[in-house]
Amino acid sequence: MSFREEARAWLSTVADRKPEAAWGSGDDSVAVFENWTEEEEREHTARRQDWERIRFDAGWGALSPFHEHLYRTEEAAFDVPRRPEIFPVTQQLVAPAIELWGTEEQKDRWLRPMRRTDELACQLFSETEAGSDLAAVRTRAVRDGDRWILNGHKVWTSGATVATWGVAVCRTDPDVPKHAGITVFLVRMDAPGVTVRPIRQMTGGASFNEVYLDDLVVPDTDRLGPVGQGWRVTLSVLAAERLDSGSLGLDNADRAIELARHQPSLTGVERQQTAELFVRTLVQRLIGLRVTATLAAGRAPGAEASVGKLYATETMRRTSDLVLRLLGPKLVADTGEWGTFAWTEHLLGAPGYSIAGGSDEIQRTILAERVLGLPKEPSR
Amino acid sequence: MTYPRIDPALLVETPEQRELRSVARDFFTEHGGDQWKRMAGELGIQGLAIPEDYGGSGYTFAELAVVLEEAGRALCAVKLLPTVVLAVHTLLYSGNTEACARYLPGIADGTLTATVAFGGDVHVRDGTLHGTVDYVLDGADADLVLVSADGQIFACESVTRTSRRVLDETRPQALLEFRSSPATPVGSADVVPRVRDVGRAALAAEQVGGIGHALDATVSYVEQRRQFGRPIGSFQAVKHRLARLLVEYEAARSAAAYATACVATESAELPVAAAATAVCSSAYQLATAEYVQLHGGIGFTWEHPAHRYVRRARSSEVLFGTTQDRLTDLAAVLGIA
Ligand SMILES: Cc1cc2nc3c(=O)[nH]c(=O)nc-3n(C[C@H](O)[C@H](O)[C@H](O)COP(=O)(O)OP(=O)(O)OC[C@H]3O[C@@H](n4cnc5c(N)ncnc54)[C@H](O)[C@@H]3O)c2cc1C
Repeated sequence: MSFREEARAWLSTVADRKPEAAWGSGDDSVAVFENWTEEEEREHTARRQDWERIRFDAGWGALSPFHEHLYRTEEAAFDVPRRPEIFPVTQQLVAPAIELWGTEEQKDRWLRPMRRTDELACQLFSETEAGSDLAAVRTRAVRDGDRWILNGHKVWTSGATVATWGVAVCRTDPDVPKHAGITVFLVRMDAPGVTVRPIRQMTGGASFNEVYLDDLVVPDTDRLGPVGQGWRVTLSVLAAERLDSGSLGLDNADRAIELARHQPSLTGVERQQTAELFVRTLVQRLIGLRVTATLAAGRAPGAEASVGKLYATETMRRTSDLVLRLLGPKLVADTGEWGTFAWTEHLLGAPGYSIAGGSDEIQRTILAERVLGLPKEPSR
Repeated sequence: MTYPRIDPALLVETPEQRELRSVARDFFTEHGGDQWKRMAGELGIQGLAIPEDYGGSGYTFAELAVVLEEAGRALCAVKLLPTVVLAVHTLLYSGNTEACARYLPGIADGTLTATVAFGGDVHVRDGTLHGTVDYVLDGADADLVLVSADGQIFACESVTRTSRRVLDETRPQALLEFRSSPATPVGSADVVPRVRDVGRAALAAEQVGGIGHALDATVSYVEQRRQFGRPIGSFQAVKHRLARLLVEYEAARSAAAYATACVATESAELPVAAAATAVCSSAYQLATAEYVQLHGGIGFTWEHPAHRYVRRARSSEVLFGTTQDRLTDLAAVLGIA
């Protein structure tokens, strides 16, 4: 049996196949960022944690990126709890960084609970004065014997209310060039000195937060990677994020194409715009498949692994454009009709991914400098 | 229904294909593409996708696509598309073993060139052909013409040919006039849409080669050309244009690889994949526009190769249908009405 067949066989013993919901009934949410209350966020998180435990205990957790991709393709056909953003952050971004940078003791302590999602981890990276220029972080970590004292203010932290751990990028040496004075710590989000405040975003919901760190005490055993090497640790997380972003937006694009299919009649322009979005989804999947097939062949992927996020954010924009054309006034005024006004959640959420995880502009600079090898800006 | 459904392993190059690529690249760099006989004798390129029974080497379209990409990169070997792609696949798909045995060995050993003339206004009267077909690739030179008339494909060698003046001189076209031309029936014209899809897949491979050239040439130019005391490639406006192009290039490579895999495995997904090669046309257009723009004045000169790629990119955009035609075809296949 192939890996996918095995995964499918196992899934069918623990979950039901997604019911073929008839068009026009069932859940019509196309939210990019969930508009959950704190309580709803906790409920959805707990439900998914239960599912991840079943999966992990049956031996289907902790897969290689290649097998994870295949597994996920199969899981999509089953009726399992939604997977909030914090899950990929924990399993695909933070856990691999621990594997790469952690001590044996840290791996023993952190990897299993994170892969099993008993403990979730959020990214305490951005600050008000350090966004695209992340290496400018000011949150200070000062050594005090075998522990560190952290003080600072992080913003835009997704999932901070449900996370056990926060991966904090801190300045440990202000007297060396900015990239050299950084160290990464894992901080407990329930520790005294950590205050989380939700920030309402343009969708109306609050999926990100600001986090205050006041005289937070962190044992040296929770430092990830060597002192002063935090920038390299951070880059490995960001690279994983770029790789993991390649399938963003596909579900909603597929749904927009379904929406077109269910219109009573389409103009020539609408037909072409729909076919064009279909081609994008096809190509976006092909780019992802080329990456996984290259990994499976035991080779390092090339440029195809770095373009996925930019391709995906464009898909999200084009999805908004098509839906707006198809729905017209029903998109902007709620008539109560199924699957119409709900698209405002996509329209308002999509711009977030062109900012989060390295903006489109920063992605282009990375492609130009690291993939095409063009010279850096002189003043940096 | 979600596409693609083919085996992802088919989307990446095998070590043998990489080897073939470097051999083909060296050959085209050294000899250009007009060494038709040499290409057959030394490399066996024409016979790559021709079965051994007919004098070929029995590889697949995937190997041929590697060569097409390199030919597209060097803008040469123009007879490959009409002869080895269009005519060969018309013959193979016709199922007419006699016609295959008559023509394919000659194509494989480089002694015969061929083309197709589909979609014209040609009819059969008294056992001979009458009418015209325009824009026939390599129509003035091809030894054998496979022409569609009244729902059938005919093989014809004697026809009046008038070369057209063309935008892209590396891809000649001609007007063919059949005036009581003797012809032999080959089979049903039902194969025409499939051959057109194979043509789209082949064109996509060529386009990817052309984009690769334009990107490489532009990247090395902006690294070396200095203005305002620094390489122009260090300006963000320039970098971001090239980064955008890189994204489109990877999209084009993905679509072309998919179309190639569908031809090679005779997949039922081919019509979808062939239509999706629309992204190769738009990426090539972008690549050649940037090729000229980022070279400044030198890029606008006759001596510089950039304009030859602009000509190729633009003329490719209308070959086997425009982007709009491809999208309309796709909407029909997907049932988007
Ligand atoms: C929905 C969402 C979720 C997020 N989740 C998290 C999280 O969980 N954890 C976390 O740490 N952060 C998170 N972020 C923060 C995100 O990483 C930052 O917002 C992002 O890096 C941009 O930083 P900034 O907001 O300071 O904008 P700025 O860096 O000020 O950028 C503003 C604009 O200027 C452009 N710009 C900046 N520098 C350059 C340059 N050199 N060249 C060209 N253009 C430039 C940017 O592209 C952007 O368009 C999230 C953000 C969003 C929107």
